[in-house]
Amino acid sequence: MLKISTEEIKLITKYIYEISGIHLDESKKYLLETRLNALAEEQGCFSYQDFCKKAKADATKVIERKIVDAISTNETLFFRDTGPFELLRHKIFPELIDARSSKSPHLKTSLKVWSAASSTGQELYSVAIVLQELLGDLSKYTIKLSGTDISDAAVAQASSGKYNKFEIERGLARDKLTKYFTMNGQTWKVNDQLRSMVNFRKLNLMLPFTGLGKFDIVLCRNVAIYFTLEDRKKLFNKIADVLEPDGYLIIGSTESLTGICPRFIPKRHLRSIFYQLQ
Amino acid sequence: MNTMTILIADDDPVIRKLFEKRLEKEGYNVTVAADGTEAAGLLDTMPFDVVITDLVMPGEIGGIELLNIAKEKNIEIEVIVITAHSSVDTAVDAMKKGAVDYLEKPVNFDELFLRLEKISEVKALMKSAGDLREAMDVTESSAAQTIQDLEIINSHLLMQLEKLEEILSNSHQDEYSRIEQALQFLESR
Repeated sequence: MLKISTEEIKLITKYIYEISGIHLDESKKYLLETRLNALAEEQGCFSYQDFCKKAKADATKVIERKIVDAISTNETLFFRDTGPFELLRHKIFPELIDARSSKSPHLKTSLKVWSAASSTGQELYSVAIVLQELLGDLSKYTIKLSGTDISDAAVAQASSGKYNKFEIERGLARDKLTKYFTMNGQTWKVNDQLRSMVNFRKLNLMLPFTGLGKFDIVLCRNVAIYFTLEDRKKLFNKIADVLEPDGYLIIGSTESLTGICPRFIPKRHLRSIFYQLQ
Repeated sequence: MNTMTILIADDDPVIRKLFEKRLEKEGYNVTVAADGTEAAGLLDTMPFDVVITDLVMPGEIGGIELLNIAKEKNIEIEVIVITAHSSVDTAVDAMKKGAVDYLEKPVNFDELFLRLEKISEVKALMKSAGDLREAMDVTESSAAQTIQDLEIINSHLLMQLEKLEEILSNSHQDEYSRIEQALQFLESR
């Protein structure tokens, strides 16, 4: 197991910040060693300094992408933290559908949701399930659920809609599992109908949000915690720019926007909080 | 270290006896069933960690059907299928359907014990991970409530400060009126 020195930590964390905006420091030594060890050895490096050098020198950026994949993997489950999904089901979606359909009653009601930092897709598929259960017949709606993440590997898995039994078992009630997924050996695959509601692509939240359009709902949960205060301010201001005037923002249940983005006002519904533009 | 409960389904009474004896000697809790139907019934009465089943059994419920039924009842149940040498294809098919392993007859018990140990290790790890997640959920939930309360209070205070600033910088009124209005506003909260 390759050990990382204090100097190397400075070097590597600076590099990781440059390529992803993820802010790590000496306290994350354990994380760095466990996540990057295999990759460093695979590249034939005997020190993290070598590894960093090799990654920077790689014009194809293959190593860089692998580093991002390794560092950004996070705990995510279907319906992780039921709060937001209850919120969507009982407050946000009904309110939104009401507002949108009364504005143009002759057109199909359009709903656009963005899961920023969608990771391996569980969050967005969970949103899709909530919507499917709420609306039943989706033909009267134009639904666009977009997921973006900085990790190519996460985007690839999200797009494939395939999960192993460990990823699936928690959070998904048996009835939802059999209704929306098909089992093949030890892998579960999301069914076509659900899959057709979502799309995933790569996006670095530090860069401009080109080509995204505007959204009715944005979920940005448990990703800002990895950014510096300054970057969080920039991030949420950018999100405010792509949110419809009456749109909704949901962040992680232990996160706060106080002092970060005054454009958003927190509102409470039962045990959850969501934000809307002033 | 928790002992695993194992359900054995096999129509051969000699095999059933053999499995029961060897596995109990090794420390496992064993229940036997003479066919798929009996096994399926038993799955309803108590929880099992592992099901070891012959692929071919008389009656409506064979090895593959039992596998499906077991997984249906509890996704975490591990199923090992026992197959004759000539039916390895069916065994592989069973694995595609979720069986964790297959063993050829005559069963090598050393091999079986090793496989069971592995299953046990994984289950212990899963439990550990589950416990950690549980603890994390509790902490997160409690922190979330506090943070949300503070968030709402903060937002409210900020709005009041803005209102106060508006009142105090209202150039249409003299300073005394502004202060009076400001005090009134503060009193009304």
